Amino acid sequence: MFQYIIRRILVFIPMLFVLTVIVFALMQAAPGDAFTGRIDPTVDPEVYEQRREALGLNDPIHIQYWNWIKGAVVGDFGESLIYKGRAVSDLIAERFSNTLNLGVMTLIITIVVSIPIGIYSARHPYTPLDYGATAFGFFGLATPNFFFGLVAIYIFSIKLGWLPAHGTVSKPGIDGFELFFDKIRHLILPSITLGLAGTASYMRYMRSEVLDVLGSDYIRTARAKGMTENTVLYKHTLRNALIPIITLLGFEVGVLLGGAVITESVFQFPGLGTLFITSIGNRDYPVIMAINLMLGFFVLLGNLLADIFYSIVDPRIRYD
Amino acid sequence: MNLKFKRSWLILLSFVLMLGILAACSGGSDNTSTEGEKENEEKETGPQMGGTVVGAMDTAPSGSFNPIFYEEAYEANIIEFVYEGLVSQNNSLEFVPNLAKEWKYNEDHSEITFTLEENVKWHDGEPFTAHDVVFTYKTMSDPDYIEAGGVRASEYASRLLGYKEYSEGQTDEFQGVVAEDDHTVTFKFAEPNVIALSDASFSIIPEHIFKDIPVADIPAAPESREPGKVIGTGPFKFTEMVQGEQYVLEKNADYWQGEPYLDSVVWKVVDQAVILGLLENGEIDFVADPNGFQAADYEAVAAMQNVEIIEQPDFGYQIMGMMHNHRAAGDMTLDPSKWTVNENLKDPRVRQAIAYAIDRQAIIDGLLYGRGIVQNSPIATQFWAYDDQNPPAYEHDQDKANQLLDEAGYVDVDGDGFREDPNGEKWVLNLNYPLGNQIRERSAPIIEEFLEEVGINIDLRQPKEAAAYFEDLEKNSQDWDLYLVGWSLSSGDPSPEGLWGSKDFYNYSRWNNPEADKLLAEAVKPPEAFEQDYRKEIYSKWQVEFGEDLPALILYAANSLWAHNSRMKGIDVLPYQFHNNPHLWYVTE
Repeated sequence: MFQYIIRRILVFIPMLFVLTVIVFALMQAAPGDAFTGRIDPTVDPEVYEQRREALGLNDPIHIQYWNWIKGAVVGDFGESLIYKGRAVSDLIAERFSNTLNLGVMTLIITIVVSIPIGIYSARHPYTPLDYGATAFGFFGLATPNFFFGLVAIYIFSIKLGWLPAHGTVSKPGIDGFELFFDKIRHLILPSITLGLAGTASYMRYMRSEVLDVLGSDYIRTARAKGMTENTVLYKHTLRNALIPIITLLGFEVGVLLGGAVITESVFQFPGLGTLFITSIGNRDYPVIMAINLMLGFFVLLGNLLADIFYSIVDPRIRYD
Repeated sequence: MNLKFKRSWLILLSFVLMLGILAACSGGSDNTSTEGEKENEEKETGPQMGGTVVGAMDTAPSGSFNPIFYEEAYEANIIEFVYEGLVSQNNSLEFVPNLAKEWKYNEDHSEITFTLEENVKWHDGEPFTAHDVVFTYKTMSDPDYIEAGGVRASEYASRLLGYKEYSEGQTDEFQGVVAEDDHTVTFKFAEPNVIALSDASFSIIPEHIFKDIPVADIPAAPESREPGKVIGTGPFKFTEMVQGEQYVLEKNADYWQGEPYLDSVVWKVVDQAVILGLLENGEIDFVADPNGFQAADYEAVAAMQNVEIIEQPDFGYQIMGMMHNHRAAGDMTLDPSKWTVNENLKDPRVRQAIAYAIDRQAIIDGLLYGRGIVQNSPIATQFWAYDDQNPPAYEHDQDKANQLLDEAGYVDVDGDGFREDPNGEKWVLNLNYPLGNQIRERSAPIIEEFLEEVGINIDLRQPKEAAAYFEDLEKNSQDWDLYLVGWSLSSGDPSPEGLWGSKDFYNYSRWNNPEADKLLAEAVKPPEAFEQDYRKEIYSKWQVEFGEDLPALILYAANSLWAHNSRMKGIDVLPYQFHNNPHLWYVTE
């Protein structure tokens, strides 16, 4: 198992390398650079030309790539072209903790809500609660993030005043438990908004998987042996029903850690998503490259974690 | 039975959901009854100490809070409370004393000597002196300044004596600004300078904080970015922040113009869609620079009983440029003799017909809900230099447009509804526009329609995002005819140089009119140009030239729409910005 994990991680390296080459080439192919969009009649355009020269933006692409990769392998992702003089790693670190909080909270909500409801729906299909869950499922999948976010802000922040409408904390300078609870309060609306579609779809998956497994022969056998319904459900059914869900969650980890542009901007929640989008608009190459690399890593990691979890829930799957 | 049950459940559920939303919507209306009582309590009590106001902006500042290195309006929102310049501008855009209490020119206006206020202290208690002024301009002239990311030198320092030599590293001696004593400082210019006060108006940074930091390292230094370390002379200190979300400014009790009434001003970053809701429920007190609120929301904001609106013309405008000439592919110089004439728009009558064909007031009424103005020359209307009499006004007139096009020989010969050029060849004008400004994006197809109504065949091209669009406009516009772009202008001086001179980089129309160039040069030529009336006359001639030759049609200037809670008093906005003397702001309650 341990060897398997090491092997998988080693495979990450060439994959990530290819990823950086592709992304770098695509970025160079895109028209414009970090300074073309900055047109200010009070600024002499010569200024931007001098900065291009100083930053090496006029160098041939292979030299630019070499300069980038030689820093990147030792963990130096350079300085942002837009956030003047700031190291890319600082910028990302600053945003990553917010994205991580939001991602974890969203994942928790998704799992805690969708799996029990899915199981309940499967055990009691075609009951009023099952229909309710189905309706919720459609609602969740059909409602766009930004719309749900805005309605949620309107109701819970502006009209009722229960929850904050924006940001990650209510004021600077608080710490300890106060900070912790304040952060949680700020996470509630964004994470529900972000998790809505996921919750709805996992609930549907869970329901159909459990229904599927419940109808299979080995469950009938288990019941015939006289096992209690709970043992049948939690020991035999659930483990098998979870496998496809875990695959999906593996992807979800990668996606959530990459930040959520729309939710972040509705709630002005400074996470990686908005940083990524601003950087693309500004052609801030060093930041784009670093975030891409990170995203790629998390998607691979999510998949690896999914594979490891398979072997935990399903004893038939073993790696060596 | 099963199916029936399913349906009734769905109906019940949607009913419950609707009820919930209805209940939430009606929640806001029950506080109207108390409004009358409140107003009675609010008698004229005069300014009172204490309180906090919360401002909203829709995008987080990038985080550079050093005047010589910031670039964004969002950063300016914080910087302007913290730093001050020697002079500032008043309501009629005249320069008035600020850190300098008086000034005098030498005989030929190549030097200006300022006497500084004496009791000014930096936020850390150090005295403010003439050496800080020298240091600020010296740093902006430093050979490393531009590479470090500074962009202000060309506007503020480049006319100083010896700027070129010092900034290119040929000498270590900085001659441009000299401290005569602690409270007297002289600006020396390479030539007599018409806009000396504008040049001297830049915010001053503290020498004792930055002197030991190499210029290249200043942008990243905590002294340029972090609350508590950013030190200015202004009425508020930058004391705390949550990066990307909140920025707290606390009053500078020792402020030289008197202790501010407010305890603090807090900036919050809030999505545009949420700002108005928070303004109404009082969580936010004001929304102003740089984006204010949208014209489409005007009625909604006007209906809020606790909110007041400030509306005034902006210092920017949107234009539709008309390519007079094209620069060859790969030519990055600005040499008009190498340009080729754009045959499609060569005839001035065609350009004038285009101007007559577009109903600009209709665009303002339709897209800006009337919250904007038509202007006829590219000088902001607030300036003394703007001439609203002489330049042609091009009021919407389809007949006139048709007539001019007929005269110029552009008639429809093959009966397809579109005019052909005088040789009978197909004549299509392309119209290019960038993404990033919704109103502008929506105006492009409307312009297309107006022009097709007078028989001009328009090829409306796919819009591109800014970075791609401007690269094309600068390098690959050899086949462009019409293009949309927006300019925002500085409030310092009305000179249109920089945008409309034939050798200006941003003269994207590649307009080459020697008469107009001559007028631009005359308007800033000493000694005559020290008389404002003289400049006014020259600029008037230039504006007529512009209007007749039409390198661009000025489409509209959208008004600034700002709003603040009525509890905020003492607001005295400037033509170009909301914050002005924030130490005089106070709140009732």
